[in-house]
Amino acid sequence: MSTTPQILAGVAQAIREVIGEDWIADELIEASTSFTDDLELESIEFVALAEKLQETYGERVDFVSWLSQMELDAIIGLTVGDVVEFIESCLS
Amino acid sequence: MPIVNANGVDLHTQVLGSGPSVVMVHGLLTGSLATWYYTAAPALANDCQVLLYDLRGHGRSERVAAGYDVDTMVADLEALLPHSSDTPVILVGHSYGALIALQFALKHPGRVDRLVLVELPLPPSKMEEITRFVERDPVDMVAALPESMQQVLNAGPRRRRATRLLEGLRFLTMECSLLKDLVAEEDVPDDALQSVQCPVLGVFGSRSSCLSVGDRLGRLVADYRQVTLEGGHYLPLEAASALTESIVGFVRG
Repeated sequence: MSTTPQILAGVAQAIREVIGEDWIADELIEASTSFTDDLELESIEFVALAEKLQETYGERVDFVSWLSQMELDAIIGLTVGDVVEFIESCLS
Repeated sequence: MPIVNANGVDLHTQVLGSGPSVVMVHGLLTGSLATWYYTAAPALANDCQVLLYDLRGHGRSERVAAGYDVDTMVADLEALLPHSSDTPVILVGHSYGALIALQFALKHPGRVDRLVLVELPLPPSKMEEITRFVERDPVDMVAALPESMQQVLNAGPRRRRATRLLEGLRFLTMECSLLKDLVAEEDVPDDALQSVQCPVLGVFGSRSSCLSVGDRLGRLVADYRQVTLEGGHYLPLEAASALTESIVGFVRG
C-alpha cells in the first residue's frame, strides 16, 4: 500500500522525467505545486505524465475518466496534490 | 509514449476507452492531440475507443520537412488505422483536421460511419482567419491567439510554454513545407460534398470566417446538421463544454 508521501515522490519523479530539463532536477515539487503556474507543463506533457502514472499504478487509476468530469479551467488549475489525492483515492 | 510509424513518419498516438472506434484529428500549428484530450475525448472514451494522434510535425510526432498537404496527411491516417478492420469509424476533426477527416471520408466512403467537422476551412487558402494568421511572424502568431490561451501560455516564471510553442511554430512556419502546402490546398468541389452519404455534424463559431462553410455544407450534404457555438475558430478552447456536448450527442446518435 502506497502512503501519501510515497505517491507524492512517485508523481514528482514522473514530472521530472517528463520535463527532462536541467532546472526541474532542483525544483521543489510539493502538494501545492501547480502544473500550470509553477511547473509550466505543456498540455501535451501532461498527457505524457498521465500515461506514465497510468503505467505505474495500473488500470485502477483511470485518469481519462477523472478528466472527463472536469472543465478545462479546472484542469488548468490542477496541483500536484490533486493528482496525488486522486491516485490515493483509486488505490484505497 | 506510444509512437507508431505510419506512412514513414513516427506519430505520437493515445488510445482511450473501449467500444466503437472514434478517431480525432487536431488542427495545424497550435494544435496537438491535447486539443481533444482535454475536451471531447475523455467523455467519448466512456463508451468508445478513441484514437488520438499528433499530426506530423506537431506535438510529440516527428518533425518532418514535407508532406503537410491534405493528401499526404490522409495517407498518414490511413496508415494509422488497422487495415484489417472493416468496421467503419467515426471521424472528428478540427480546422485542418476536419479537412483531413472529410477527405478521408470522400476517399473511403465505406470506412466512415459518422463525420464531425469542427470549423472546417474550405478551402484553407481562402479562409481569412487562417491566411491572416499564417502571414504573421511566429511571435505575432502567439499574440494573435485567444486571450484565454495566452494567459495559460504566459503563466509561470519562465514563460516556458510560450517559448516552447514559439519554437514549434518556428519549425512549422519556417523549416518545413507546411505553409506552402497549406496555401496550395484546393477547394473540395460541390459534387464531392454531394457524394457524402454518412451523417455529418458541422460545428462552427459564431464569429468565425469559416461559418459560411456551414451554409455550403447545409446545401450540399444530404444528411447534415449544424451547431453554431459562441466563439471564433478555436472552439475546443473557447467553447470546450458546449463542443464536447454536441460531439458526444451526435456520436451516440
